[in-house]
Amino acid sequence: MNLDVEEVSFTYPGGVEALRDVSLTIAAGEAVAIIGENGAGKTTLVKHLNGLLKPTHGRVTIGDWDTREHSVARMAARVGFVFQNPDDQIVEQTVGDEVAFGPRRLGRAAPDALADATAALEQVELAAESKTHPYDLTTPQRKLVTLASVLAMHTPVVIFDEPTMGQDARGVALIGRIIETLKAEQRTVIIITHDIDFCATHFERVVAMANGRVLADGPAGRVLARADLLATTNVEPPQLIRLAQALGLAAAPLSVDEFIRAWTRRNEPDRRA
Amino acid sequence: MIQLTNVTYSYPRAETPALHDLSLQIPAGQFCAVIGANGAGKSTLCATLAGFVPHFYRGKLSGTAKVAGIDIAGSSLAELAGTVGLVFSNPFNQITGARFTVREEVAFGLENMGVPPAEMAPRIDEMLRFARLSEQADQSPYALSGGQQQRLAIASVLVMRPKVLVLDEPTSQLDPIGSREVFSVLRDLAATDEATVFLAEQKLEWVAAFADRVLVLHQGRLVADGPPAEILASPTLSQYGLEPTRYTQAARAALGAGFRPQHPDLPVTLEQAVEFFR
Amino acid sequence: MSSTPFSLYIPRDSGMHRLHPLTKLALVGFALILGLFLPGDWLTYLAFVLVILPLAAWAGILPRFLPAVLKTALPIVVSLFLVQGLFWPGGTPIFHLGPLSLKQEGVTFAIRSAGRFIMVISSFLLLTFTTRPDGLMLALSRHGVPNSIAYVMLATLQIVPRFQAKANTILDAQRSRGLETEGNLFIRLRALFPLIQPLLLGSIVDIEERAIALEVRAFGRAGPKTSLLMLHDTPAQRVVRWLLLLASLAIIGWRVYLGLAA
Repeated sequence: MNLDVEEVSFTYPGGVEALRDVSLTIAAGEAVAIIGENGAGKTTLVKHLNGLLKPTHGRVTIGDWDTREHSVARMAARVGFVFQNPDDQIVEQTVGDEVAFGPRRLGRAAPDALADATAALEQVELAAESKTHPYDLTTPQRKLVTLASVLAMHTPVVIFDEPTMGQDARGVALIGRIIETLKAEQRTVIIITHDIDFCATHFERVVAMANGRVLADGPAGRVLARADLLATTNVEPPQLIRLAQALGLAAAPLSVDEFIRAWTRRNEPDRRA
Repeated sequence: MIQLTNVTYSYPRAETPALHDLSLQIPAGQFCAVIGANGAGKSTLCATLAGFVPHFYRGKLSGTAKVAGIDIAGSSLAELAGTVGLVFSNPFNQITGARFTVREEVAFGLENMGVPPAEMAPRIDEMLRFARLSEQADQSPYALSGGQQQRLAIASVLVMRPKVLVLDEPTSQLDPIGSREVFSVLRDLAATDEATVFLAEQKLEWVAAFADRVLVLHQGRLVADGPPAEILASPTLSQYGLEPTRYTQAARAALGAGFRPQHPDLPVTLEQAVEFFR
Repeated sequence: MSSTPFSLYIPRDSGMHRLHPLTKLALVGFALILGLFLPGDWLTYLAFVLVILPLAAWAGILPRFLPAVLKTALPIVVSLFLVQGLFWPGGTPIFHLGPLSLKQEGVTFAIRSAGRFIMVISSFLLLTFTTRPDGLMLALSRHGVPNSIAYVMLATLQIVPRFQAKANTILDAQRSRGLETEGNLFIRLRALFPLIQPLLLGSIVDIEERAIALEVRAFGRAGPKTSLLMLHDTPAQRVVRWLLLLASLAIIGWRVYLGLAA
């Protein structure tokens, strides 16, 4: 299912112009990270992808649906959206019910919704907590519950707003694995993130935003290597790319392996000499 | 300046202690960072140093915890305020809501301590300069960015001249520029050698940049304690649910591939990594 | 999120603005008592024209004050006249409009109620437009109102916009999970239930953190407090406040006496 953002501009009722002429096509199964500083328009853009916001000008379509012609609740069957703050999302009294909330709203029968919920909780490694009250978990765990509650809906498109915020290394690795699973299932994954190293590890395509516009859109290795461009969005390149640049390597390594390959390539002629 | 002896603490109704037999001493002027996975006890330790454990969260505290010679369990929060300053993650919730401008927000603590107005003004001005908020002095605290609000929280606490400043993941809810702004203020603070700072933090690269000493907590226990270069590049880090920086990872991979560097120490920061790979 | 929690205050450098907050409170309170307790319906409007309007003009805020009063009061005033005027049970018709008729008693009642309503609204707006809430709270706490109560009153002012923003985000999160909120009244009402838990529990987390932040800043410390904010008081203002208080009490006493005598 393709996502099409066509020449979209959006102005908030207060008069703030948050998006200016943004065009973006995301093909089914793509993994896209949106980066940029606070206020760049990242959240405003993704809120257009499930119809929470409707464009002031332009058009957003998800497959054959124009977001203006469908309610957000209906769009939820196609686009899952995990909010940044878990405490804005959790409404049920147990973790299991919370995760089944979405599938139930999409009209699935209770036993099916329960099965979806159980599977999703296993994915975030919280299956043992399904009878626990969500507020008896820690905030990072609650965030994983909200992740599961959207995974359980089996939407072809999944959007995460700052999924790694507040997570420790184990949590970040877990979310990384979930994203890899979604990619393997050919589902479209879109995240907003400040975690640039995470973005380099898991996302093939990066969209950099500033002042409501798309500054750059392309393969991660290319966008994240442009230190000058990233500087205008107040984002630093990932650690490995910074290191490669400081060492004068031409490559833009996204993983430790890539870095080592680029670095040995450069050193080999030295050694022969 | 900070002295913990066999400190064990359990939250009310908790089965296992959040802090387990912790003993440590931090001399005056030291910048000490504590790292650890979520749930390792970093926040609880911060709350203990500021007296919110046990005075706010209740629960059971045993052992002795002293800050600037004051026994924490034996004194009240009101007595500890002004001696220990605490800054936490959420910048918004640290704005008192009782004051109109940034300048008055900084004054709030001094007002409560009964500092004469004539003495307040120079202290506030100095602190606003330090936190780089002089230009925002007459704005509403709510009009500031997250990074500015967090620097305001630091200034509002520092202006009270606490003996110890405790920061509990002060940048975890900020964007990269906000984090950098806060860290640059912390870097200045570390450079003074006067302040005793205790920082809980996830970003190891920053910890390496200015901590004098790093503690590792794991399941409520102190499992490592030493200089940053040694602790942050240690192979045991991953056992405690921590991920070394990409610089350390790359260096370790290079060593595995047979590389013999001139400086054998594993790098933690970019500068060290450049040195290592050169 | 609103940029300032005290969004009603209009900064101006006027004599009215410079008055001690308690003097402003006394002035506005006196105007209110004039309007509510003087006998006869037209006196209420006279109090508005002769006390409230000149004070607003003195403060230099008339261009913003008048529309604000109008916008707040008009819907209520119009419906008062329509409902009371047209549907007063029995009553003397003074004007026929098809099957409906305007009743003398209803109109009189509406004139009286509207006047009082306008007085309440306009005095509240006049005070909040010209007085910084922190100044008012400081003045009150200097005059015996406990600090914690003054704080709660101040903090409540900013909870409202924050609560609204949070409620909207929570609703968005639920719509994104398939909760239908568009449609008839029943659907919309039912959609509000899931809001309750996150709003309340989220607020508890906020309140706990705010309490910690206050303790860190020595809010709970006993002993005298000082203030960076200077309140300028003068003997003349103190005399005026006492006079206004006595005059207000006299008006109330007179009305009570009239009521008892009747």
